[in-house]
Amino acid sequence: MISINVKFFGATADTAGAREIAFDVPNEATAGAALDFVVERVPALARHKLLFAVNEDYLPAETQLRDGDELAIFTAVSGG
Amino acid sequence: MNHSIELTTEPLDVGAIARRIVPASCGAIVTLDGFVRQFTKGRETQYLVYEAYEPMALKEMTKIANEALAEFPIEHVTIVHRVGRLEIGETSVVIAVASPHRRAAFEACEWLIKELKRRVPIWKKEVYADGEVWIEGDSSFAS
Repeated sequence: MISINVKFFGATADTAGAREIAFDVPNEATAGAALDFVVERVPALARHKLLFAVNEDYLPAETQLRDGDELAIFTAVSGG
Repeated sequence: MNHSIELTTEPLDVGAIARRIVPASCGAIVTLDGFVRQFTKGRETQYLVYEAYEPMALKEMTKIANEALAEFPIEHVTIVHRVGRLEIGETSVVIAVASPHRRAAFEACEWLIKELKRRVPIWKKEVYADGEVWIEGDSSFAS
């Protein structure tokens, strides 16, 4: 297993009841698989259309995560 | 450096921000002053709260500034976004684009606010007399 640091913002932080949670995910987990894994554990997140970023960058769902990576999970942005 | 990028909790003054940097080769600055709207689709907002994923927001703001500088004949881009609680009428975002001639600055400014609203990880919560809601953007972005 590897440990990843999951961050939530705005709507997802309210839904998760946390801004940051550490999760252990299987070795070689992709960002997409890790996102599914987090949603299984925090099912209320499924009511949002979720986007994610890995280490502060928009990356494809196939991106392989490494120990200590940061996975941010959030809704479509609404700044401006 | 031909861009200036900032997140702040302090009030924004569009005029002061626009005049921070004026390259000698430029003849126009186009600014966007985005501020807190009182009524959205008929519902009255009491105030807004903006939250940013700050390190990533600064990176994405820098990327769009660099893309605009590559794409349009402009010489300087400033993007400042405020976070935290904002009252009605307060400025939430300022974009200032300096260019030798005005047309490119108008076009780049419009492009920059569209990209900011699409890509930069900042979220807005509207607070009403009888509740509050995090606004989810119209479009998603992922590379």
